Amino acid sequence: MMGSLGALADGLAIAATPAHLVFATLGALLGTAVGVLPGLGPAMTISLLLPVTFGLAPTAALIMLAGIYYGAMYGGSTTSILLNVPGESSTIVTAIEGHAMARRGRAGAALATSALGSFVAGILTTLALALSGPWLAAVALRFGPPEYFALAVLAFAAVVSVTSASLARGLTSLFLGMLLGMIGIDPVSGEARFTFGVAQLLDGVDVVLVAIAFFAVSETLWLAWRGTGPAPAPQLAGGRLALTRDDWRRSWPAWLRGSVIGFPLGALPVGGAELPTLLSYGVERRLSRHGDEFGHGAIEGVAGPEAANNASAAGTMVPLLALGVPMTATAAVLLAAFQQFGLRPGPLLFEEQPEVVWGLIASFLIGNVILVALNLPLVRLWARLASIPPSALYPGILLLATVSAYSIHRSPLDVLFLYLLAALGLALRGMRLPVVPVVIGVLLGPIAEQQLQRSLTISDGNWGIFATRPWAACILAVAAALLLTALRRRRA
Amino acid sequence: MRLTRTLAGAAALLLAVALPAAPQAGDVLTIVAPAAPGGGWDQLARTMARAIEQAGLARRVQVQNLPGAAGTIGLARFVTAQRGDPDAMLVTGLVMVGGIVANRAPVTLDRTTPLARLVGEYEVLAVPVESPYRTLGQLLDTLRARPGAISWGGGSAGGSDQILVDLIAQHAGVDPRRTNYVAFSGGGEAVTALLGAQVTVGVSGYGEFESHLTSGRLRALAISSRERVPGLDIATLRESGVPVDLANWRGIVAPPGIRPARRTELIALLDSMQRSAGWRAELERRGWSDLWLAGDAFARFLSAEATRVQALDDVRRGDGPPPRGTGSIYGRLTLIGLVLAAAVAFVRRRPAAAEPRAAPSRLGLLTLGMLLHLVLLQPLGFVAAGAVLVFVGAAALGARLRWRLPVAALVASALVWVLFDVALGVSLPRGTLWPG
Repeated sequence: MMGSLGALADGLAIAATPAHLVFATLGALLGTAVGVLPGLGPAMTISLLLPVTFGLAPTAALIMLAGIYYGAMYGGSTTSILLNVPGESSTIVTAIEGHAMARRGRAGAALATSALGSFVAGILTTLALALSGPWLAAVALRFGPPEYFALAVLAFAAVVSVTSASLARGLTSLFLGMLLGMIGIDPVSGEARFTFGVAQLLDGVDVVLVAIAFFAVSETLWLAWRGTGPAPAPQLAGGRLALTRDDWRRSWPAWLRGSVIGFPLGALPVGGAELPTLLSYGVERRLSRHGDEFGHGAIEGVAGPEAANNASAAGTMVPLLALGVPMTATAAVLLAAFQQFGLRPGPLLFEEQPEVVWGLIASFLIGNVILVALNLPLVRLWARLASIPPSALYPGILLLATVSAYSIHRSPLDVLFLYLLAALGLALRGMRLPVVPVVIGVLLGPIAEQQLQRSLTISDGNWGIFATRPWAACILAVAAALLLTALRRRRA
Repeated sequence: MRLTRTLAGAAALLLAVALPAAPQAGDVLTIVAPAAPGGGWDQLARTMARAIEQAGLARRVQVQNLPGAAGTIGLARFVTAQRGDPDAMLVTGLVMVGGIVANRAPVTLDRTTPLARLVGEYEVLAVPVESPYRTLGQLLDTLRARPGAISWGGGSAGGSDQILVDLIAQHAGVDPRRTNYVAFSGGGEAVTALLGAQVTVGVSGYGEFESHLTSGRLRALAISSRERVPGLDIATLRESGVPVDLANWRGIVAPPGIRPARRTELIALLDSMQRSAGWRAELERRGWSDLWLAGDAFARFLSAEATRVQALDDVRRGDGPPPRGTGSIYGRLTLIGLVLAAAVAFVRRRPAAAEPRAAPSRLGLLTLGMLLHLVLLQPLGFVAAGAVLVFVGAAALGARLRWRLPVAALVASALVWVLFDVALGVSLPRGTLWPG
């Protein structure tokens, strides 16, 4: 372990030259600038910007890439908080509380806790990656489809038990979301379901499209119907870095919990930040003493999921580096980039090319530091955006939402879906059904279903597989306990 | 006001930066990758783009991603939108052939102008090193005795991995419908499942397994090439008594309606590209096998592959046990949903807190704006339709109607277009009614 730290120090010494720092800053700037555009998630942002790094020497290119990567991720969170237009499924949870904070005039605090949470999680988990990468990769392999299914059930339990004032209403919305999530090709039999002959529905309804429709567009419709009210006055008077003392006190445990939840779950070869961010949200809501603030902008609800998102991104590096397996679209783009630089991720990487691994990890550390240094001063600037009067802000959001929808398949059909889903969202609001569980259903439903089907294929149709696999059984038991206590609390 | 001036300034700056990069007709080629960034088709498209530019065969090559449904969405869009375009090409491959058959896609590769097969990867069957199966023969013996005991892990349903499993089962005398094929979201996920011994045997491209075979954590049972691959100590399927060979090939086609002379030119361009040093270096670096096959020979190959995959699909859909799936789970879920909905309907309605008065006329106005936007998007293009949306939206949300409002809406819409379309190459509709 001391050897690892020594190697990391060497890596940092190589990486932290003035020229490299300039490249890292440039990368972080570009990444943030492009990543902040709605509809361009981190994967798209990185593949758009990757060619910029081609002319550079490998080390400089890697460092610049790390800057772009973290910049793109943070840019996505900014859009979610300010505009409620998430660019990738990993920032949907951020949008829930983050935008609610922005609407209360607390955009600055939301952005700051997001930046700092990402930074804390990024540093902690990059160190964890350096120290435990290969070992963790071996452990994570023991998790198969039954365990992932159990985890998805746990996430359901964690979120459902806290999302809505009325359990029946919450579950109704959740099931509606799962129904939407089932549109498309059955992942096992390959049969088309609920597609009504529309080819574009074969891949299902994009969860980002659903989130934008329900969060951004149906919100605009609601405001037109019910009136907008005045623009929120920005509250920037807070303490250091736009956070009050109370914000700090409520944020830092959430950052740490988010990191602890995000890193190991990201390292599992199942992919995506959906499970970690949702679990973190559920945990924060459960532990918070300000439970009534959730849904109206609770800072823990931004701090935790943002830390979990960045931590799971670092976790994704575990299977990527140690097994050569990308688990998310972003990781797939990164893998392609690594190969450009002559890096061959795989089980032998840590032994054959240690200096490259440590250089990469050092680059990630530097990228994190540069990003937070760059973005904290920008927080106040961004936060002004939230004080644009609604009659100017929301038409802009609407326009950007149509760009996001259109760019999924470059087809106006997706804009039509966007509007139809938004109308559905408006109808649900009119019936006082919560909309967040619908999006969660679209997010989690397909994951749960796919893992369930895989488990049952492996066991040749025997449901006993969930009882005989110890991890799966344990996780399912925890989920059941969560639901039961939630029910009892509700009665009490 | 200051905001308007800042926006205008930013727009001017962006235009100045972006315009010189805007394409001019003639020497700009477009390669459409019918998949998301990062996948095999996207990598092939971007590698080709670089190799063509480096070899000086075109001034600029741009890559467009049109993902969806195993490439069939990209294909359908390509044959209609790019019809007759002499400078457009589409990446294709075995997975698309499988997707066309599985999704019963209305648009097939018959509608395109085949150019060439470029690269490919042979499929490998592998087991974890501690697995009891040492040869393919042993595995097939178990498969014949108890098909359900073997779980096959590979990429998405109907893709090249499952095509190979079906072919093997068929030749081993086992009904492909009785195989337990576990569809993962990609080769990588399948490989990790295999490393963790979650499935009995993994099926994926050689590249996915390579490092794990070298490090000794996995054992290869067979490779799907016709003859042994030099340098690899892996028996072919034929050697193991299964007369099947298959490559997960990737190639390139042109749209329908281009002149035969242009087809010849494009094939010549691709031929020069595949001979270039840059391309050769990329093949080496990415571990792609060179499967160059051009022109009519490629066209014949394409239809032979389509026939083979179609025959498998007919077997799968024939009489027999229904395919495994969650059709029944759906019914139950829908039922639960209906019960819940009924429950909600009967739940006592709490009196609403003081809510602002509803304004149906404003909601109607916004809905009208959205409908107009949808209708105008294709004919008038993004900028005009977007300006209408912003203008009506602002009016519906209570903005004061002054002469500045439509101007601001137009500027905002143009700014977004410049940012996304011109500067970043995320193309937005340009409008079909405008000349040129």
